[in-house]
Order: sequence, then structure tokens, then C-alpha cells
Amino acid sequence: MNKTQHTPSVKWLARTLHIAAVLALLACSSCSRIDEEGKVLRLPLRADDPKSLDPVQGSTVYDNKATCQVYETLVQYKYLIRPPELEPLLLSEMPTISEDRLTYHFKLKPGVLFHDDPCFPDGKGRELVTDDVFYSWKRMADNGNNPKSWWLLKDTIKGFDEYREQQNAAVEAQTGSFDYDAPVAGMQKINDHEFRVILKQPVQRFMWVLAMFQTAIVPREAVEKYGDRFGRHPVGTGPFTLAEEDWRPGQRMVFYKNPSYHPCYYPTEHMPSDVAAGWTKDAGKRLPLVDRLEFQFFVQDQPMWLSFRTGKIDYTQVPDEYFDEAFLKRTKQLRPKLVREGITTQNVELLDFIFRGFNMEDELLGGYGEKQKKLRQAISLAIDLDEFNEAFYSGINTVYDGPIPPGLEGFPPDGKADVSYRGPNLERARQLLAEAGYPEGKGLPRIEFYTSSGRNNVEQTELLKRQLGKINVEINAQIVEFSTLIEKVHNKKAPFFGFAWGSDYPDAENNLALFYSPNAAPGSNSFNYSRPEYDRLYEQIRSMPPSPERTELYIKMRDMVIEDTPYTGSMGRTRFYLINPWLKNFKVTEDFYNWPKYLDVTQRGVYPSEN
Amino acid sequence: MWSYIIRRLIYYIPVYLGVILMVMAILRIQDPVAIHLGKNATPEKIAVTKKAFGLDKPFITQYATFLKKLVTFDFTEQSWDFPGVTVGSMIRRSIVPSLSITVPALILTTILSICVGMISAYYRGRTVDKTLVFFAVLGMCISVLVYIILGQYFGAYLIYKETGHELFAIQGYEPGLQYWAHYCLLPVMISVIVAMGYDTRFYRAVMVEETGRDYIKTARAKGVTKRKVMFVHMLKNAMIPIVTQVMITLPFLITGSIVLEMYFGIPGMGRALIMAVNAKDFPVIQAFTAVFAALFIITIILTDVLYALVDPRIRLS
Repeated sequence: MNKTQHTPSVKWLARTLHIAAVLALLACSSCSRIDEEGKVLRLPLRADDPKSLDPVQGSTVYDNKATCQVYETLVQYKYLIRPPELEPLLLSEMPTISEDRLTYHFKLKPGVLFHDDPCFPDGKGRELVTDDVFYSWKRMADNGNNPKSWWLLKDTIKGFDEYREQQNAAVEAQTGSFDYDAPVAGMQKINDHEFRVILKQPVQRFMWVLAMFQTAIVPREAVEKYGDRFGRHPVGTGPFTLAEEDWRPGQRMVFYKNPSYHPCYYPTEHMPSDVAAGWTKDAGKRLPLVDRLEFQFFVQDQPMWLSFRTGKIDYTQVPDEYFDEAFLKRTKQLRPKLVREGITTQNVELLDFIFRGFNMEDELLGGYGEKQKKLRQAISLAIDLDEFNEAFYSGINTVYDGPIPPGLEGFPPDGKADVSYRGPNLERARQLLAEAGYPEGKGLPRIEFYTSSGRNNVEQTELLKRQLGKINVEINAQIVEFSTLIEKVHNKKAPFFGFAWGSDYPDAENNLALFYSPNAAPGSNSFNYSRPEYDRLYEQIRSMPPSPERTELYIKMRDMVIEDTPYTGSMGRTRFYLINPWLKNFKVTEDFYNWPKYLDVTQRGVYPSEN
Repeated sequence: MWSYIIRRLIYYIPVYLGVILMVMAILRIQDPVAIHLGKNATPEKIAVTKKAFGLDKPFITQYATFLKKLVTFDFTEQSWDFPGVTVGSMIRRSIVPSLSITVPALILTTILSICVGMISAYYRGRTVDKTLVFFAVLGMCISVLVYIILGQYFGAYLIYKETGHELFAIQGYEPGLQYWAHYCLLPVMISVIVAMGYDTRFYRAVMVEETGRDYIKTARAKGVTKRKVMFVHMLKNAMIPIVTQVMITLPFLITGSIVLEMYFGIPGMGRALIMAVNAKDFPVIQAFTAVFAALFIITIILTDVLYALVDPRIRLS
């Protein structure tokens, strides 16, 4: 080639290189924005987005995680104490409770201010008062708010259910609007910082409910000013503030330290092991400990995992597919490479109840006669949950009897109840199957089994088929969308189905409510379990304070359910976390989510091996 | 020409009405309110919600209302899944992130594929051609997921881990040209690699077909160089299939690349729609599908018009 032929190519190459250089510079310029000043927490949120930061509209864990950074509840969980205990948050002290456990006397902490916001005169956040508490709770009763959490206060406060019905009826009939100023017999204001709540009956869960983010306190001014957008424009009393523009849908949320946050301090109360873990060093320090909190959303596991490994986020849950990368398979110990990098691990047993349920109203599988009961027991005995655990969860889950998850009163010692129909026990399963009138499975039609198409349910269903096949029980698997599964269960059309339940608060009453007949489908009693004796016991425990007597009843109810076998199970998930070395004070929990205020960070990205 | 355009428009109006009718009917096969409210919804709650969203009215009324909204570009209805967020704002905020990936990807893919296709056709049957076709087929055989996973691992994670320089983001998106390369270049490159296999083979086939035509033989007979024949005569005449291929791709520019958006955390249209489907976010699904359908039809009309411009015989027929 001669020189003239070369020229265009050289020019083209030069241009290309020039463009590449510009792109590289642009890329580097964007790198520089990564480092910001101040102490910044960067935490993952394993979801696309919280739906709304309006407490009454939220229902998911992700809503909870975001909402409780901005809003606060009257009480909160003690950060370092296990099993969970409550302590005052917006209250100056825990409420005094009358002897009949019907009247609660609350005192609000003075000087708690809402965030500065244009909804207030001069934009300065005003002090939280009694009216805010009543207003916030009444919002849960207003159908116009599309609340998902009314059930938390249903049948609880004197006159509240009637108030709800009246107000919504007036709206429905267009004879008036929802009157938030109308009185409720059980909500009695004493002054701006004191009030009384009178319950219809003693309700043990009431205090737990007051720690749930759905009952967080919001200011009326903000709700009225922002209307539909209130869920995007939070104004609370919490340790962090969130501006609308800092919520980048599908990307991240950036919270800033609330400069006028009421005095809250890192707890001095702790468990003995917390000292060695270094979780007591900041005791007595004013909260929050960091200047900024960023939640980064991850829909897929790989980006979350790689972001953790590059130090972009401070901790991560270990996704199932990365378990072997993080832990030695046999010992479940953290891999030495990660240990050398200063990464630590913690795990937490979720208050989980994964099961496969029967519709107790189904002609074949339902009912309380010996024949049907033995059929269900035989199916339960043929299922080997340990095999599921090993095959799909690296053996990290907890397999146990009954509906009460580990860590709660009523959980059987070592997970094994005296009454147990947990498999595998094929011999007994075959015997019960024969006693049910289906020797060797003869005469038993195929059972319709419904499960959702998510995660590895197809593979799990294959294993279920194989296990049940050993006693000649055949299932017809219907792998459906989750919505279809819910619809089938709601309409009592699913004879056998796969489901799970995560406890809303750490009291087994929440799980035992799943078998209470008034909660039958479309309520949470998806089994349509109905035993008058059980119902009576449930009504009794609902109002009992924790005591050995109550635990006895829990056990009695648990065993009653195991004996009747409206489900086969159970399995509780264990969640593993990896924590980067610069993240301080992280004590894992899945019971509450306002803990970022206790966290601290040192210099990000510095691993011990690199020092 | 205008009469032709109007004729095409009129032709597609009933098609669009039919599409909307079908979409609306399909979305109502299962009660959207009951599905959205989930496990603990009471019949009372379902009824109230239905009334609030106008879903208690006869289907034909709902159809007419929705059409009116479409015609007047009224997208003020709120998302069920994200209270306080209008469908219109969801569409608006997700268009740019989608285009940030798809437009550069389309331009690069088209240019590169045409070039490679022509080179392949030029060296037809020779080693160069065979090698290029081999790589094109190879590229097609590998799932986009594999490219994404490898791209994120090697392109984003490993480079950063080894060099300390974050050339590409593992995931995320920032508006603004200065951030484009950091957040979008890697997904664009993956998109180009994935699409090039298909496009290269297509353009090669087009070019090969053109080489057998009479005007090529005539040009060669006149002594025009092979290179000039290919890059001037042939390319000009191959414009119809090229235009077709590009136009077919246009609607996907808006819908975005769902898998890429999901893995790279890019808040584009495809991701928004998938999330809405998963969350049974009825108003969003309904509006997005109506908008996508409109875009498809507009693209088809544009393609027809371009054809007519390039070849007047099409207009006459």
C-alpha cells in the first residue's frame, strides 16, 4: 500500500482513539463522584423499590426498611437484646397498663420534632403531640387511604371498629367525608403529651403492633399538603430525612441525618457476647452515627454480590447461588479468602413457616374423619424435608414440627414435637395410607398440587413427586403464577398447595392465628382449618400475657394442628449475611429495620490484607 | 404521497382499536383488583377499590374512557403499585434510560453489521467470510444472559478489583452525558455483540443476493472496480432491506432491552413494564401496552412511507 491509501485509515484510527479517550475520561470523571464526604452507609435493598413511604400503605419488608428510617413508632425493639424486647421510642417511658390490661396510659417524649418541611409554618417541623398519634392510627381505618394494615388494630381499641364503619359508610353514601376529628371511645387525650387507650379486650399483641412501621406517627399537615404524593414525600420524626428528589425509583434512596433528631443514644443494654463482637463500644453515643444512608436497589443477585465484593455496599445477604462461594460446603465456615479480607458473617433464623397446605374443605383431602386425617398424615410422613433442605438450601434451613418457628415460645425442643408426622417414615406412611382406605395407593386419585412458578419451585415439585411416588401417591402439579395461586387458595380451589408465612411480630400467636376459623380463606387461614376447640383456645391466648400457662396452651394448639395435619412441614429459612470490615455495630436481625441509626463506618474499601 | 399516508393511517385505526380492546379484555380475565390486593383482601375492600378505579362500570364504558384518555394523552392515572406516581411520569422517566442504551446499540450494531456483512460478502466463500460467519453464528448461539454475567464479572468487577479503576459500573444509571460511558457503555457493548450475529448474517445474505443482480454485472462490465460496486452501487440498492431491518428494530428502542435493564439496574421502559406485570400494576400495564402498540403501528406506517419513497411502485399498488 502506498502512503495516500494509508491516510484515511490513520485518520479513522486517530479519531477512534480520540473518541475512546474521551469516553475513558468521561468514565473516570464519573468514578470521581463515587467518593463523597462524611460518613456514608451504603446498604443493599434486595428489591426494585419500596412502594410507598406512607406507613398505612406499606406492607412489605422493603417498605418497612425504608419507612422506618424516616418515621418512628411509639415503641421499638431493643437493638442488642435477643429474644426481642420492646423499649420506648417516641414515648418517654413504657406505658402503664391497668390490672385488667384494658387501659394503657402513654406519655410522649417531649421535644420530638417532625422534620423541617414546607408543610409547616415557616418550614420548621413542629413538636409531636397526642393528636398526631390518634390521627395516624385513624388513617389506618380510612378506606380512602387504601390501607393494608387495618387488621393490626381490628377488634382491638374500644369503639375503633365502629368509628371505622361509620366514617367509611358516610364516605360511601356521600353524606360526609372521613372525619378524623370524630371521637373514638378508646382513644382518650389527657394533654398534648399524655393519652389513654382503652382496649375492647386484653390483646397481647397490642404492644408488638405499636412497634410495627404501619403504626408510625405522621403529621396531618404533610398528609393534607401532599395528598396522593405523601407516600413519596415523607415527613416524620426519624433519624433520617428523605427528599423526593433523593428517591431515584429503581436506583437508590439517599437519606440524610436529621439535624433536629430527638435525643436517642446507642444502647448500653446488651447481651454478654456483644462485648467481644465490638457492639458495645459506641454505648451512650448520640444517634444516628452516620451522616448519610444510601439504599441501593438490586433486582438481581449477581450485581448485589459483585457490588459487595468490590466494597460498594457494606453488607450483603448471601444469595443461594453464592452460598458455596462464601462458605465451605461441609463445615459452613466462611472461606479463608474472605476471612483474610476481614469479612465477617452472621446468620439469623427467620420466623419462617414454609409448608405445603391442604384445603380442609376439599372432598378428598379435607375433613376431620379418621380416613382423611390418616391420608394427610401418610402424605406428611412420605415427605423428607431434610432432602429438600440439602438439595435446595445447602442444608442451612431448620426443619421442625408444627407451625411455631424457632425462637418463639411453643417451638418444640430440637424441632421435634411429641406428636409428629414429619417424614421420612415410609413404613408408617404406607400403613396409614392403607388405613385410610388406599392400600399401596390403590383407589387414590391424583392430587392437584398448586405452587407458584417462582424460584426453584419446578424442581422442588419434581422432588415432591418422587418422594410421594414412594408410597404411590401421585400429584398433578400445577405450577402457576403467584397471583393465580393466591386466587385458587382464596377460592378454596387448591386441594394441596405450597405456601409460606413470615411472622409479623415475634409471638407465636401470629402463626397460631393461621388456623383460627374466622380467618378462613380468603383470610390468612388458607387451610380453612376449623375446630371449635382450637378457636376457643386461640381466643384465650390472644389476651393472655406471656406465661408458662400461655406457653402450655401454645403447645396444646400446636399439637392439635400437627395431629390434624392441615399442612405438611415445617421449614424455617436461615439467612446468612456477609459484612465488610468497615461496617461497625451491625448485629443482624430480621425482626425490625430501624437499625441503620446504630451503624457506623470507618474508611470504606480498606481491607486488612491491603493495609 | 399524503393520500397514501392518510390511507395507511385509516387502515391502522381499527387495528389499533382492536389491539386495545384485546389488551383490556385480557387484563380483565382475572379480577385485577383482587389479584392486586392479595391474600388478605376482603370482598368489601375489593368492591371499594373497584369503584375507586372505575372498574365496576360496564366494559364498554371502561373501553371508551380509556380510549379518550389515550387520544387526549391523559396519563394521569396513578400506579397501583407506587401510590402517588402517575403512569405518565413512569413513562417519561423511563424513556431516556431505555434510549441511552438502545439508540447507541442500534447505531453501532447497524454500522458494524453492514460493514462486516459487506466484507463477508466481498470475500464470499473464502476464509475471511467463513471466519466471520463462524463468529456470527457463535455470537447468536450464546444467550444474552451469558454475555451479561460474563460482562459484569470481567468488564466491571474484575477490572475494578485488579486495577482499582471503575471503568464500568456493575449496575446503576445516572442521567447526564458525562455518566453515559460509565453506566451504559458496557450494556451497549453487550447489546451490540448479541445483535451483531443476527444482523451480520442478514446483511451478508442481502449483499450476496445483490451481487447476482444485473446492474452489478453491468457495472462490472463497464469496468467499475469491485470495491466501488460493493460500496456505492450495491449498498444503495440494498437500502430497502436495511431500512426494513432498522425500522423493525425501532419499537424495541422504546421498549428497551428488558434483560439488560434488569441486570444492570437501568430504570428503562422494559424493566418498568416487567415490574408492573410482576406487581399486577393494572393501570401501568394497560397504559404501557397501549403506548407500545401505538409505537409499533407508527413504526409500521413509517416503514411503509419509507418504502413508498424509495420505490414509488409500492405506493401505486
